[in-house]
Amino acid sequence: MKIILAFIIIIFLAFSGYHLTFRGYRLPVFAHKFYLTGTEFLFLGLLLGPQFLNLMDHKTSQGLETLSALLLGWIGLLFGFQFEVAKLVRFPFEFFLAAVFESLLTFVFVFLGIFLILWQFIYISAPMKIIASLILAAAAACTSQTGLALLAPAKIVGRKETFMLLRYISSMDGLIALLIFCLIFFFYPPGFSHFSWSNFSWLENFLSVLFLNLGAVVGIILIYTILLSQRLNENNLTAIVIAMAVLSSGIALIINFSPLLANFFLGFCLVNTSKKKERIFNMLIKIEKPVYLLILVFLGAGWNIGSGWFFLFAAGYSILRFSGKFLGGFIITRLSHGFKTHPRTLGLGLIDSGGLPLAILFDFQMRFPGEVTSQIIGLALIAVIYNDFLSTISIRWLLKKI
Amino acid sequence: MNIIYPPKKNITNYLLTLCVLIFFALVIKFLKIETSCQDAGLVNFSLGFILLVSYITSKILKLAGLPLISSYILTGIAAGPYVSGFLDSNMIERLRLIDDLALNFIALTAGGALHIKFLRARFKAIALNIALNTVVVFLMVFCFVIFSGSSFNLTRNLSAVELTAIAVLLGVIAIARSPSSAIAIISECNASGPFTETVLGVTVAIDVLIIIFFTFAMTVAKTIMAGGQIIDYQAFAALSLEMAVSLIIGAIIGKGIAVYIERAGHDLALFLLAIAFGVAKASISLSAYMENHFDISLHIEPLLICMSAGFTVQNFSKAGNFFMESLERFAMPIYLIFFSLAGASLNFEALIMCWSFALCFAIVRGMGIFGGTWLAGTISGYPAAYNRHAWMAYLTQAGVAIGLAQLAQRQFPEIGVYLSTIVLAVISLNQIVGPVTFKFFLNIAGEAKKKTGG
Repeated sequence: MKIILAFIIIIFLAFSGYHLTFRGYRLPVFAHKFYLTGTEFLFLGLLLGPQFLNLMDHKTSQGLETLSALLLGWIGLLFGFQFEVAKLVRFPFEFFLAAVFESLLTFVFVFLGIFLILWQFIYISAPMKIIASLILAAAAACTSQTGLALLAPAKIVGRKETFMLLRYISSMDGLIALLIFCLIFFFYPPGFSHFSWSNFSWLENFLSVLFLNLGAVVGIILIYTILLSQRLNENNLTAIVIAMAVLSSGIALIINFSPLLANFFLGFCLVNTSKKKERIFNMLIKIEKPVYLLILVFLGAGWNIGSGWFFLFAAGYSILRFSGKFLGGFIITRLSHGFKTHPRTLGLGLIDSGGLPLAILFDFQMRFPGEVTSQIIGLALIAVIYNDFLSTISIRWLLKKI
Repeated sequence: MNIIYPPKKNITNYLLTLCVLIFFALVIKFLKIETSCQDAGLVNFSLGFILLVSYITSKILKLAGLPLISSYILTGIAAGPYVSGFLDSNMIERLRLIDDLALNFIALTAGGALHIKFLRARFKAIALNIALNTVVVFLMVFCFVIFSGSSFNLTRNLSAVELTAIAVLLGVIAIARSPSSAIAIISECNASGPFTETVLGVTVAIDVLIIIFFTFAMTVAKTIMAGGQIIDYQAFAALSLEMAVSLIIGAIIGKGIAVYIERAGHDLALFLLAIAFGVAKASISLSAYMENHFDISLHIEPLLICMSAGFTVQNFSKAGNFFMESLERFAMPIYLIFFSLAGASLNFEALIMCWSFALCFAIVRGMGIFGGTWLAGTISGYPAAYNRHAWMAYLTQAGVAIGLAQLAQRQFPEIGVYLSTIVLAVISLNQIVGPVTFKFFLNIAGEAKKKTGG
């Protein structure tokens, strides 16, 4: 009963919210962005969660895991569809290297910072320290284009090259985050009990997960390549796309892998092989916003606000991310001759965090449930709000410098 | 990799895909499901599997001229607990949530398919069909149960009173049709024309009326079982009130949908899915809440609500066409899930237990339908060829009949088991034969057109 009630409420919220949120209300820039990214849905989730109304307690969330997996699968497919090689190669290869470098640098920076803090001050198991650092660093490596998209066209005039680079980096750096997230499943699959480099159990683990996942992914891709090679009308295609997201999410969960990643790989393969990619993408994008808002509500429901220290840690995490991005942007513009025309403060345009890290966090919350996970998610969510603040200011700084 | 293959090569491709899917299912059967996440994954996998396998099977069996929904049902049977056991009873129960959603979605479509304009134009034919079908089918089934009930093993030990009560209830349940099957087949055949409209009008209208008839039958059966006491008129009043409330709620929701279409318009298909789900669950929850907290038995009928909502949007707003197009967009996955699960839920144990009774019952029902439609068609002046074959369009039976049998089982525990066993067995037969005959009828009537693509 509670599951059903919660389900109805969140579906209603997602719909009404989607139609209210993604409208062009005239609001101050920060408020507009906050509103546009749907961050208020995190608070709605928090309100529905165990800390307030308790409509979505742990058991209820568990009962809705089937839906959660589907949502993650949908986002994964969509993200995979962004990586169409034919389109990506139209940009200079330097752009790609810049995105990878910036993302990796931010990852390393945040990983080391978080790991040191956890090592020194937090008493959790050693593997969990690594997992927590990896997750937070992977989430930090992603960038969103929201802030850039909100800029009035007049402000971009004369800075088109820089904004093109920023947009490219923002759309590409999530790839690194996803690949790092993927590593967690290889070395620390859900339900792991111990990890040691000293014996070869990690290698055994790695290989078994690798073969299982490879087999599953190849099988799924084979199914869809064959099915999508047939002549399909709109109804048939809808049925196949829905089945695709549901089936691959299910397989991913069963083999202890991530639905987000499994569908990302599937999306990547389809966009590069299927002639129906445009039609599939149009179908997927149609409900992207409600899916994203539902993820926010689910995340909000699992949000552990914790003590005042959380706000401080989150601030530290945001600063680390900000520093990584800034440094990444700075080094890119200094290392490559082609990028020297761009401002040294390029990294200021890469502070928005966006939807992918939230999907990664949601996947993590679902696959590694527990008190520590809940605290990590809580910390990351506070940081998302900080990042929303920071990015509004940082883009203004960047505009002044160009 | 994206070559459009000729039909024969398509079959090879479909068979190959089917093999890969079955291989997945076999591997997953051997994996240990330990965590709640894996369990959720199994539900997702089962759903995705049944969607794809039904889809592929329907494509293969289409070459044999079998209607799509028959293929879905056959796939469901093959995947269900009595054949491969891939979908066991527990899994079917867990997928019931999606099944309810699908049923309400279909009810929205059924309501939306009713145009006042054509109902008025074919009022005489539709009304005659409903009246004659109801009377003839009821009487034939009633007489069959009364006069031959003692000849079958299943009903041999029932007392005369119990047999009469069962005869009344079975007589009414026999009238029930399956609008979901009708709409799915009409949509598959892209059929339109006077006969299609008449069949649809009769099927949907009977689906609404059957709830009234059934409540009358329940009251009569209660009176018979209680030794001929005076009929409880309060029950009729309560039923009328429940139906009126359901229809009003549906009309309000329909107006809401129309306003949404006019103001927002986009993502309507998803909005409708949410409405269908919300109505299904909210009505069940409301009934339970009223029962538990106020000791009031209030049964708001979700199917009636959705039909009324669909009817309101179609006939009392300008958004009817857009509404139907949006429903059509999700129709295929909905039909795939609904009919596959219907197939998996078919009770073959019941069929085996009372196959002789079920077979005779199905034949008597078919004869009743033939009599009713032939009379109605002749009086309406329809062509003789149509009148001879019209019965084929009315055989399908599904969710509503099962729901009524379950309702009766709860009300009459002493005869409920017999009733639901017989109903489930007859539905198993009708649901296998019905879609095939319906498609055949549409072809004979010359109203089925060829669809392009897919």
